Amino acid sequence: MGLLDTEHGKRRLLTVEIPVIERYNEGRDPEFRIRVAAMCGNIVLRYALKPGHNLYVLETRLLSSYPSVPPETRVITPLKHCPHLLEGQTLCMWRQGSTRVTSRWDPSRFTCVFAVQAAWRWLACYEVWHETGEWPLPEAK
Amino acid sequence: MAHLFQVGVGSGGMAVLDLVARDPKVMRVTIVDPDLYKPDNVERHLFPMSMVGQKKVHAASHWFKERRPDLQVEAFDADLLDPAWQKQLEHSIAAADIGICAADNEPAKYQFDAFMRRFAKPWTLGEVLSGGIGGFVHWFVPGGPCYGCVASHLQRAVEVEKPKAPDYSNPGAAVAETRIPASRASIGTIAGLHAVVTLGLVAEASKYNPGFTSMLYTLQTAPDVFPEAFRTFRFRIPRAENCLICRPPEREVASEEIDVALSEALARLGHE
Repeated sequence: MGLLDTEHGKRRLLTVEIPVIERYNEGRDPEFRIRVAAMCGNIVLRYALKPGHNLYVLETRLLSSYPSVPPETRVITPLKHCPHLLEGQTLCMWRQGSTRVTSRWDPSRFTCVFAVQAAWRWLACYEVWHETGEWPLPEAK
Repeated sequence: MAHLFQVGVGSGGMAVLDLVARDPKVMRVTIVDPDLYKPDNVERHLFPMSMVGQKKVHAASHWFKERRPDLQVEAFDADLLDPAWQKQLEHSIAAADIGICAADNEPAKYQFDAFMRRFAKPWTLGEVLSGGIGGFVHWFVPGGPCYGCVASHLQRAVEVEKPKAPDYSNPGAAVAETRIPASRASIGTIAGLHAVVTLGLVAEASKYNPGFTSMLYTLQTAPDVFPEAFRTFRFRIPRAENCLICRPPEREVASEEIDVALSEALARLGHE
């Protein structure tokens, strides 16, 4: 059972997620817009981000229990192995009970576009780490 | 005659269920928990050592068979978030009168809240803070604030007042004292309060009002967090205007129009 198989999942998409994706895309260069696809009843967002000098292609999946569970974001562009990177180039972005507000997934306030912005922040950290060997943000506790 | 739907029969969940299900008005309970009863659970759990190795839901069924043979127990050895179980769980929730949440993780609490709102059921939630320094009891009714409203409100309040306080709600935290598990006495105290609120709903759900949305009861003093032990803090939390979970939609979409509107939107966004 996927997000698209339930009425509440469809309603969340239609009334919350799709309007914010459309606002995100508005006036944005076509190369950087979010494209949305349905896959096995779930939703996949495909997009590109350029936090510094490099362009990264990413994919964010909204699984069946979204928004109770946070979206999963992975980078398609090959990365060097680094901190906060999980299997399959999935970004480690959320930590339950974290003392940092933006590291704690909050379904009552965050949308999938917040996850896209969090991925941008993660990639900006990655670029700094790539140059200096140091992750610029402290670990989420 | 009440039918309870409860998620979590761990040390906290079983303590509250045991208190609530002794009430003769409770005739049926549905319990959901995917975990195994392990040796390290024994210290804080109601179940005896001899039950180690059993699924917690099966141990709970056995527990009630010995104490309330007339109680109808439906046990799901399942994760609330598992897509494969959603239909069966929805069926049980639709038939239940009151929900009891004793889940130990945030996604499960949000999912429980989503289920309860979908079927317009009142529910309660108990949370023992790490270290057993205190705990919360929350009470939710259809049309009132959702778990997202409450969690966001309480988190904001803590941050504003005590920005550097250790997070006692985080069992995996780096601060050593926050990893100390709660004692059975602390769990029992918060479970007792949770049970009293739940029994208020069992008695007369439509008229019951404990006078708070969330109640915090401190059990110990904790530096920079609780200056006093055995103190009660009551919070009346309103619905958050911008809550993405329970705010009214900007535009209503009729059920029969959802599929068309969604496929149009996906087609539009698929070709961006």
